[in-house]
Amino acid sequence: MPHVVVDPITRIEGHLRVEADVNETGTVTDALSSGTAWRGLELVLKDRDPRDAWAYIQRICGVCTTAHALASVRAVEDALGITIPKNANYIRNIMAATLTVQDHIIHFYHLHALDWVSPVEALAADPAATANLQTSLLNAYRLPLTAEGASTEAFEHDFPAATPQHFAAIKNRVQAIVSSGQLGIFAAQWWDHPDYKILPPEVHLLAVAHYLEMLDKQREIITPHVVFGGKNPHPHYVVGGMPCAISLNDGNAPINTARLAIVDRAINMARSLVNNFYLPDLIAIGNIYVRAGKVDGGGLAKSRVLSFGSYPLDSYTGTSNGNFFDNLLIRSNAVVENFALGVNGATIYPLSASDLVRDDALTEGVQHAWYEYPMSAKADLHPWEGITKDKYTGPKEGTGTMWQTLNENGKYSWLKTPKWRGRLCEVGPLAKYIVIYTKFMRGLLPDATWAEQMIVNQINAVTGVLGVAPEVWMPTMVGRTACRALDAQLNAEINRFFFDKLIANLKTGDVQTVNNEKWFPDSWPKKCMGVGLYDAPRGALSHWIVIEDGKTANYQCIVPTTWNACPRDDVAGHGAYELAMMDTHIADASKPLEIARVIRSFDPCMACATHLYNAKGEEINSFSTSHY
Amino acid sequence: MQKRESLLEAYLKRGFSRRAFLKGCVTLTSLMGLSMNMVGKVVEAAENTPLPVVIWIHGHECTGCDESFIRSASPLASDLVLTSIALEYDHLLSAACGAPFEAHLDETIAKYNGQYILCVEGAVSTKDNGIYCMSGGHTFTHLLEKAARGAAAIIAYGSCAAYGGIQAAKPNPTGSAGITNFVGGKPVVKVPGCPPIPEVMTGVVMHVALFGTIPPLDGDGRPKQFYGNRIHDTCYRRPFFDAGMFAETFDDAGARAGWCLYKLGCRGPETYNSCGNLRWWQGMSYPIQSGAPCIGCSNSNFWDEDPLTDRMPKYGKLGDVDKIGAGIAAATAVGVAGHAVASLVQRNKRDNLLEEHDDH
Repeated sequence: MPHVVVDPITRIEGHLRVEADVNETGTVTDALSSGTAWRGLELVLKDRDPRDAWAYIQRICGVCTTAHALASVRAVEDALGITIPKNANYIRNIMAATLTVQDHIIHFYHLHALDWVSPVEALAADPAATANLQTSLLNAYRLPLTAEGASTEAFEHDFPAATPQHFAAIKNRVQAIVSSGQLGIFAAQWWDHPDYKILPPEVHLLAVAHYLEMLDKQREIITPHVVFGGKNPHPHYVVGGMPCAISLNDGNAPINTARLAIVDRAINMARSLVNNFYLPDLIAIGNIYVRAGKVDGGGLAKSRVLSFGSYPLDSYTGTSNGNFFDNLLIRSNAVVENFALGVNGATIYPLSASDLVRDDALTEGVQHAWYEYPMSAKADLHPWEGITKDKYTGPKEGTGTMWQTLNENGKYSWLKTPKWRGRLCEVGPLAKYIVIYTKFMRGLLPDATWAEQMIVNQINAVTGVLGVAPEVWMPTMVGRTACRALDAQLNAEINRFFFDKLIANLKTGDVQTVNNEKWFPDSWPKKCMGVGLYDAPRGALSHWIVIEDGKTANYQCIVPTTWNACPRDDVAGHGAYELAMMDTHIADASKPLEIARVIRSFDPCMACATHLYNAKGEEINSFSTSHY
Repeated sequence: MQKRESLLEAYLKRGFSRRAFLKGCVTLTSLMGLSMNMVGKVVEAAENTPLPVVIWIHGHECTGCDESFIRSASPLASDLVLTSIALEYDHLLSAACGAPFEAHLDETIAKYNGQYILCVEGAVSTKDNGIYCMSGGHTFTHLLEKAARGAAAIIAYGSCAAYGGIQAAKPNPTGSAGITNFVGGKPVVKVPGCPPIPEVMTGVVMHVALFGTIPPLDGDGRPKQFYGNRIHDTCYRRPFFDAGMFAETFDDAGARAGWCLYKLGCRGPETYNSCGNLRWWQGMSYPIQSGAPCIGCSNSNFWDEDPLTDRMPKYGKLGDVDKIGAGIAAATAVGVAGHAVASLVQRNKRDNLLEEHDDH
């Protein structure tokens, strides 16, 4: 039985290795996922000023930059009891939604697309037929869903070119690169894998063209980070609000009308790009794959997903006191089990503040991770009591510095194993969409917000195209990738929504961006603890801080990729990456494209993952929000 | 050895006109901070120099530097990756993975021995034989030594590769360090920043690509054209410093009016970078312009010079700014004094040439 090793997995963030046993029929009988680097940032944070934590911990990841800064300031503010001003909440939400749209676009076109699309296949395309295809995709697959009442521009400024000349030029460029022998980023891939024959040549050429166009455009989508945070990657934050002071009287002000106009344009551009490029391309490719019977790669998504909920509508007083959950645009704070049985067969476990603070709901274990807990400690620790003590044991075969195979029976990863009530969960846009869809269909969202309603409408629209039920297409490799695209469209509209709320609030004369009341440590309690939540582009993210005597006494993060890529647990079983591999058919074990592709459908972020964890738990908060 | 194509050949082969090529050279000339009478030299270099092979490897990092690289507007990342360089190995963009990808790396190193550019992102983890950073089943130290051996030039992208970065901050759990001591004594172009500005990153690689030499460097190995000025010296808020007009807290009247952020911890007076002149997104902003004090992210040890919102703890106050009232004379005196203090500080770190430039 071939033992397949893929290391490094590329087109991801950080260092990831996977191994799989593949039998004669192409079934993966066992699989392991290993984060192969550990930087120890939790230990770096210890004893430093909590007001600086966002800057340090943001450096966990430059791909989902801003995600960790946001979770960090939220955790510190929760610990210190700081309510941020309305404008700061709106601006942070715009930063987060902007990240989500841009990150998803980069993932689909630049990190994931080459698992489906080949420049070699594109050479067989007819440029005129490709132009016709572009037109028909725009006619068939644009989902005209927007935030209710949201403004649009005079016309859509960002449309795909649909002319034979355009595609002929792209084709010539690809031909020149292939002919030159210097393949650059296209070198050494398994281009002869049979799956590259699933899509017709014109889809390949169209996708290559959009790969290049989106590579140029992604920098413009992220512009709001540059305006509000000064740069990207790694924009600036401040505990208590946002540092970008607002004045409508000063030309030198960080934020004034001219600066807001830049953000306005970037937000509308992102909406156009998602609606005219990303979604039609995704639905076209996904439809061909699903109709070809490619509905594998679901794994843990079929049986258990977790989401935290996102986008505080207005200022809130804290997270561990539950107010965060009372105030969400998307109330996906729940665990859903057995979605594969359909919405009526699934079980919903609400998550609330009590799940954050009790010490047995959200925990991390280290059974198969290169860490150890003291003998006196419990097997699974709550992040406020979290311990990060490395214990490297090397591989099963090879040496400590030159691995052959890792030891699935022992320790094999720098990721801990996060658990919810002792069980493992998949997180991400797919998880969020499963939770909202299940809650809505079960009548638990009678007063759905416009965003929750939009999620349901999106799922129904895609279900109509694919012709199979949500419980069939969603918990799959294709479904994971598709829900990410839907999440991009949703977040593009959320961006618009919070920008309009920001402007409406500025009209009232309120320009405050920072609450300075508890800026100085002499106003802090001697000891306090906080948690910051954010449903990041890759899923449920939580940061946990313990502050003592004005310093960071403990800092732990439970990160989406830790949930998904974690090593197994002898009781709880395999994590999402491992189960997804074991739920994927391999055509040729010597070219394990399917393994790389299903792993990339999670959008791995390994530097994020080699960190901390946490847990939570129950009760749904249903309440009305002002519809847009 | 297979002949590699020049930038001009690449342009022509990929369907661009010679006119487009010349236009590209003008853009590059301006991008690299060269005067326009250098255009001829850029054209000459681009016509004759083969398309450079680039190998990009990752140590202890966050991928923020790749992300910054693809945010470049001039040149655009698409043009750079497809027509200006042959990016044969990069964990972020390369199609391939696993064993074929690692074999391609070895082939590329052998085929272009002595000719490729090695870009390194991330720190070297040295503790316990490097086991805290593994890739392809090997330590990153192994990969770095292997790739550095045949490199024509080595670029350390970001503060991690240049100085060790965030993971090297106390207590440095993995023994992380910059790459300089792990590349067999080869010269290293340091491009610090967390991350560096996109157009600084692409500008440096284009200089190497076009001129076949590393760009002129300062005493610390940084390209002078991008790291020759303190942010303080190029900051649009500098007049407020000189006039003694400061934001005292975040979001106060001074902060809203765009006054100097020195009292909120701004590291502009000790930080060499292009944030004040190039800025981010082609002049759109930089942290100070967006109201956030500079954290000195291109400085060698900035993570351990915290708290970040304290005033430049390492070097102390720049003059007695607290006592500044109105009055041009007093403000000017403080400005001059401040400049002198900072210049004194860097005298320990910088070569005499730069020092003279600085004390003008």
